Amino acid sequence: MSHPSEEDLVLHHYGEAGAPDGVESHLASCPSCAAAFAALRADLSAVTEDEVPARGEDYGRGVWRGLQPRLVSRPAERRAPAFRWWAPAALAASLVAAFLIGRHFPAGPSPAPISPQGRDRIFVVMVGDHLERSEMVLLEVVNAGGKGPVDVRAAQESAENLVAANRLFRLSARRSGEPGVASVLDELERVLLEVAHGPSQLGPEQRAQLRRRLESGDILFKVRVLESTMRSREKQMAVSGTAS
Amino acid sequence: MERMAGSDDDTETVAQARAGDADAFRRLVERHSRNVFRLAYRMTRNEHDAEDVVQEAFLRAYRNLDRFEERAHFGSWVYRIAANCAYDSLRARERRQESAAPVTIDETGDGPVAEPPSDEPAPDRLVFGGEVRRRVALAMRRMSALEKSAFTLRHFEGMSIEEIGRALDLDASAAKQSVFRAVRKLRNALGRDAGLRPTT
Repeated sequence: MSHPSEEDLVLHHYGEAGAPDGVESHLASCPSCAAAFAALRADLSAVTEDEVPARGEDYGRGVWRGLQPRLVSRPAERRAPAFRWWAPAALAASLVAAFLIGRHFPAGPSPAPISPQGRDRIFVVMVGDHLERSEMVLLEVVNAGGKGPVDVRAAQESAENLVAANRLFRLSARRSGEPGVASVLDELERVLLEVAHGPSQLGPEQRAQLRRRLESGDILFKVRVLESTMRSREKQMAVSGTAS
Repeated sequence: MERMAGSDDDTETVAQARAGDADAFRRLVERHSRNVFRLAYRMTRNEHDAEDVVQEAFLRAYRNLDRFEERAHFGSWVYRIAANCAYDSLRARERRQESAAPVTIDETGDGPVAEPPSDEPAPDRLVFGGEVRRRVALAMRRMSALEKSAFTLRHFEGMSIEEIGRALDLDASAAKQSVFRAVRKLRNALGRDAGLRPTT
């Protein structure tokens, strides 16, 4: 064989199946290639691993504690499609959101009043749940498998309800002086609207476009950060509520 | 390398988790968390990011349990998901850094390094004083998220090019080229000329 390229030598070094045949025998008979290969090996052997911070035997329990609140009950296998379960939840969220900003509260005698702290806590819990549901709907759409078009009508239905809830949460955030929350919700709303009013059959390229759109604005990242912030606030409120 | 071995115990536990048994999923999380963390840390080289990757990987695994093939090993499956999550994390970090402080990134790695190399860059001489380590770290910082991910999975985790492609949602050719570019950047940082081929 002719002299192997640096790429060939890299593949040979790692024992890759794609390495061309005959590299080994060529190296045995070609001093310059043997020297090049030895140099490559020396360079790669210089790349050693950083020490990984230790994690104890009970690490998994801590991971589970962090994970558990984010998990929702899995529907048993062979039940309704995965999207369906959060459609009513999204609808319920919009009703609570409406209640929070006091727009759709029924006329007549008020029920027991809710303190400002109680209202804040409902807001924080509901926005956290709303962000999680929105993230799941968007991820399910962009990660839908298969090479052909995927039917996303169920996700669109959920997105439609989430848009309604999102609008109300956004208004509520703005009124209560939380411009950061309102800004993320504003960005999220635009994407949810795209999904809700887009085609009901999405091909791989359309899903890839949506993924690029989400990545270009770091939207999912912002949603996750805000969700995490809301969860932290929820915990702090629970602690201070218990303490008082 | 500590690739996740498949466990016979997982088969039944996965089946229970798929049927909606949260406690079964807890056992899977507890069994595989440390390995997932090790992978996440090797890829992100940041403890906080690695913790986020662990959470995200198990969350994605949970949401996609229906797609898990029963004949596969859960450990290997969640390992691939974690690699993908770590890659996402690196890309997000890359975007944040780009928007915070735009820098010119030399895609080939053949351009001048951020710090000028010393007059005598031969790797065997650089061993002393941790110079090699410093230069490797510099090269890793100069890699794109994709190059860093592909190289880490190939060099430290022992994944084949094909497995890397599957883990990062790439075709094998893109995975291979990413490894090559990463190696070139490393060698460049170590002062090794990439043009190693003898002339015929």
